[in-house]
Amino acid sequence: VMNPFGLIQIGLILLCTTSISSLQCNHLPVQQRKVIEKSLQLLDKMGKKFPQQCLREKMSFRFPVQALQPRQKETVTVAIEEIFQHIFYIFSKNLTLAAWDGTALDQFQNGLYRQIEQLEACVIKKHTRYCWSKEVSRLKLRKYFQKIDCFLKDKQHDLCSWEISRAEMRRCLQLIDKVTRKL
Amino acid sequence: AQIGPPGMELQPTNGAIKIKVSPPEANQGRKMWINDLSFKYNLIFWENSSQAQVQSKNIFPVDTIDDLAPDTTYCFKVQANLPTEGKQGLFSPISCVKSTQKVNDPLCAANLSVLALNMKFQLLWDNQEQPQVNYNVQYLIGYLKRLNDDYSEKWLSVPRCENITHTWCNVSSIITTTGFYFLRVQARAGSNRSCLSREVKVDPLKTNGIGPPGVRLDISDTLLHILISPPGGADFEAMRDNYDLSYRILYWKNSSNEEEEVRQKEVKQTIATVPELAASTLYCVRVQALSQVYNKSSPYSQQECIQTPADTPLPLLIFAIFMGALLAVLLVAMPLVFGLYQAYSKIKYVFFPSCQPPLNIEGFGGQLFSSPYLSAAEEPVENCCVIESMITEEGNQIDFKDYKHSKQSSRDSGNYSNDDNTSGSKGSKETLEKEIL
Repeated sequence: VMNPFGLIQIGLILLCTTSISSLQCNHLPVQQRKVIEKSLQLLDKMGKKFPQQCLREKMSFRFPVQALQPRQKETVTVAIEEIFQHIFYIFSKNLTLAAWDGTALDQFQNGLYRQIEQLEACVIKKHTRYCWSKEVSRLKLRKYFQKIDCFLKDKQHDLCSWEISRAEMRRCLQLIDKVTRKL
Repeated sequence: AQIGPPGMELQPTNGAIKIKVSPPEANQGRKMWINDLSFKYNLIFWENSSQAQVQSKNIFPVDTIDDLAPDTTYCFKVQANLPTEGKQGLFSPISCVKSTQKVNDPLCAANLSVLALNMKFQLLWDNQEQPQVNYNVQYLIGYLKRLNDDYSEKWLSVPRCENITHTWCNVSSIITTTGFYFLRVQARAGSNRSCLSREVKVDPLKTNGIGPPGVRLDISDTLLHILISPPGGADFEAMRDNYDLSYRILYWKNSSNEEEEVRQKEVKQTIATVPELAASTLYCVRVQALSQVYNKSSPYSQQECIQTPADTPLPLLIFAIFMGALLAVLLVAMPLVFGLYQAYSKIKYVFFPSCQPPLNIEGFGGQLFSSPYLSAAEEPVENCCVIESMITEEGNQIDFKDYKHSKQSSRDSGNYSNDDNTSGSKGSKETLEKEIL
């Protein structure tokens, strides 16, 4: 007698491979590329060149690249959405010591927020959330962002910790840009 | 893992109820859901009466519920969800509150609407009261509503829309394509009365209307060139990039008697060509800009028409081509032929000369190089000179000197003798040698 739970699992996995196309979600990669381009520009604009004195404190966070290469292609969108959520969260508070350009920072966050909304709408439509939650690399992604968050907290959000985090986020967005171009 | 219940605070204000939701685990040191900004809150509320209809609404952490019946008790509960994970949290405890009387202040600006053309945004509203009202347009950057903090202090005034008396304002200066914005109007009358209007959400790229493109026509041979100038001109450059514009061209033959079918062409570039035109016909064109990404289209441009030139008559064409060919032949072929002839004659002259050598020197044909001008063999000529020798009776020795002596002696009378070769004779030797020399 086959386990009914197993059947449900199979059914859901099959659901992962179907895609409900909607005009908005078909053009998502095009839109996303522009958002990432703009976000990188704003990240550069909000602060100056990386300060020399902060080189000593540089940390290696090791972004989990496997998170952007999941077994199911559709789950890349969910992975990107989660990454944007994390970046949005990191840049949302305790920014006084960073002394960055307020307008550029506002626009950066605003852009991320809008893209998160778009991605959420598409992800819910495509029913791909189930597949992503089973990915192992998802935990690695969470650990990565948690590490950055703890690093900032330990350094009390001082200038160097912010500059290091900003450089790290830049690297992260560039990786996403590469992946989005292939979509 | 289960998402815990969020906290909720209610505050009735002027016919509406202000809600502040605090995320689950708000006060905990160690959190499971670190990113508390990723929650989406679902509010369920109903009128505290017998046949109450339950309403559901997605709200921000700090939000306002409008359109409630005054002096009525409403009950609320909220849950925190993670939609991308398909997780729904536990509901907060139910909280009930009575709504206040709504004071319908005619001072407030109403019916806010946004009109946008080529990224120029205009906010319009209605004025319900008499004039003498000062308006102040305010905006809020969209993402601030997603944060858990109260954003009421974060509204900013739109430049050049402060203390105005007309019921419209150009808000383009604060709008960028990056994200959402919220707009509201504060109305003021006198020193103590003021009222805030409802908010309106603006998604710039979605709200914006694309204007019609410009069209120019040009004809060359049997090709019609359609030159499209994108909507909005130079200012619109960045927006064009976001919209990923393409163009739909409608063209037809405009003849007075019959109805011609309208043909269509879609292009991505700002230049298009229509081939195979009929002669002496008026062609008309209209163009529309499209954005597939945002599912938007502009109105059609103004109609532009152009007349194709008349066809040249065939015999005239043939004659013209013939004359042209003839001229070409004359100009090109003749110098070529002349040149070839010259070359031929030169070659013939050098290698195959036509003139024959005369008969009398025919024999020389074989001995070309035994020239008659060679000098004759030289006869041996001897250079002879006669040497005279004299033999005297007196002695065997023939001495040249003696000969000289003898010559001298012929003049002198026996002063000298053979035996005596003294200085006297020497002197005479010298003079003799000089004579001989």
